[in-house]
Amino acid sequence: MRTARCLILLLFVSLGSWSMARAQNVVLVANEGVRITEISNADLRAIFMGTKTRFSDGSHAVPVTLKGGPAHEVFLRNYVGEAPEEFRSQWRKVVFTGQGAMPKAFDSESALIDYVAATPGAVGYVSRISPKNRVKLLAAVK
Amino acid sequence: MIVEAPAYDSDHLRDNPKLKGFSRCLCLFIFLLILICICTCKGSLYAQDSSAIVVHAYVSQGFLYSSTNNYLSMKSSDGSPQWTDAAVNISDSLSDNLRVGMQLHMYQLGEFGGSNVQVDWASGDYRVNDHFGIRAGKVKTVWGLFNDSQDIDAVFLWILLPQGSYSIDHKSFYLAHIGGDVYGGLFLGKRGGTLHYDGYAGQATVDLNDGYIKQFADIGLVFTNSLGGKTYGGDLRWETPVRGLTIGSSANMQAVDGTAPTGSVHLPESFAPSMYASFTKGKVYLAGEYDRIPINATVTIGTAVFPLVVDGRSWFAMGSYQLRKNFQVGSYYSHYVNKAADTTQPANHSNDWVVSARYDLNAYFYAKIESHFLHGTALGYYTSSNPNGLSPDSRMLAAKIGFTF
Repeated sequence: MRTARCLILLLFVSLGSWSMARAQNVVLVANEGVRITEISNADLRAIFMGTKTRFSDGSHAVPVTLKGGPAHEVFLRNYVGEAPEEFRSQWRKVVFTGQGAMPKAFDSESALIDYVAATPGAVGYVSRISPKNRVKLLAAVK
Repeated sequence: MIVEAPAYDSDHLRDNPKLKGFSRCLCLFIFLLILICICTCKGSLYAQDSSAIVVHAYVSQGFLYSSTNNYLSMKSSDGSPQWTDAAVNISDSLSDNLRVGMQLHMYQLGEFGGSNVQVDWASGDYRVNDHFGIRAGKVKTVWGLFNDSQDIDAVFLWILLPQGSYSIDHKSFYLAHIGGDVYGGLFLGKRGGTLHYDGYAGQATVDLNDGYIKQFADIGLVFTNSLGGKTYGGDLRWETPVRGLTIGSSANMQAVDGTAPTGSVHLPESFAPSMYASFTKGKVYLAGEYDRIPINATVTIGTAVFPLVVDGRSWFAMGSYQLRKNFQVGSYYSHYVNKAADTTQPANHSNDWVVSARYDLNAYFYAKIESHFLHGTALGYYTSSNPNGLSPDSRMLAAKIGFTF
């Protein structure tokens, strides 16, 4: 009986952590010099898929990504509409046909934030941000 | 029964073309793999520094086994590993708008390709804005769904793309041109989707190690210089407001002239159209394409002049499903017919049912396996590789491993 209770508890804990992982959202960050404060999902997708190189105000956009992890997966699925494998495959096609360069990818969120803070036009995503990070938050709109 | 193993004999290895081909492919594959691993381990080459210089590469090794006929100039009926493919590219963003880059490519596919390294593309790309850009140099030709990307094994589930549309042994004819492209996108609003265009003009050449050259050699016309001619065309693809649905059309005009010691070939401008659609939703991918590639050439051998007329029409329908994050399965049917000849003859048509599976070991390494059920002999077969004639039906198993970054 005790074992059964433990198993049920374990199941709930697993389901809870799984649904938290699924529900995790990301924070969109941009260089402080970026003039826009919100960005449409369509523009985000176009910028991260390489079909657009500019924000809606005409300034140059430099998309950057994480190499992997939950935030990377959530961002690609929720905002770009691609699975990480498909995203990587699409970019490889662009790169090996000479039609573009893959966005810079970072191992850690802190490295990504440092790059976004230092690079005009840079836009990326992280799971959380602290007030001392010198980046701008972007709101995604439908 | 005791089977005695033959004693190792270096002459045997040297004289046996199958073993020679295998050892050469294996050495080439291992060498390229080590080279790429060294490059990646160094870390500095993969654009993680402040420099805008980026290096990418891929290498793959294939194996073919066919039930009867020898396919793609290989001894595939015995099982052949003579299929190695590798490329490395370097690119640099000189400014927000200007990017330059180059890709070197080498491949061995049966008797095609070889150890010579070719410039796959080398171009400067100036993107004025999202609506207009110019690309000049040696540029991959956009035609149909896959023409420009047909070499990049790492991005496909399939080992062989539908051969009626993307004939692997004739690819050099269509793959790239030296000239320029104009390209861009027109955003038609939320309800209109996006229209992408690409227009090009330049000079295209048929590589001396291409299948057309081998076909001419089989009839006694041995070229020692590349064939070539002007080419121009365009592609228009509409990313529709229905998420994942793309519809498009391409057109290519191509002329070819070549002179050999024993004769010549002349192909006046011919028009090759393509129409296609693809749909992606979640784990599902569907695509279809219809192409027409007419050839109306004049061939001269000695004093004999004869026409070479082919009206190649092909279509394919394909679908795949991502069963797991790293495991994908799919199938396609490809149909090709030469309308300028008796289409009931196996030599003038080719139908291919294909079943494929791909397993990604990680983000860099992958393995594929594919089964082909071929009917007709119009594509991929050569008289010199099949001196005893061809069977109209054949089955084939293909396998591939690859690495890319």
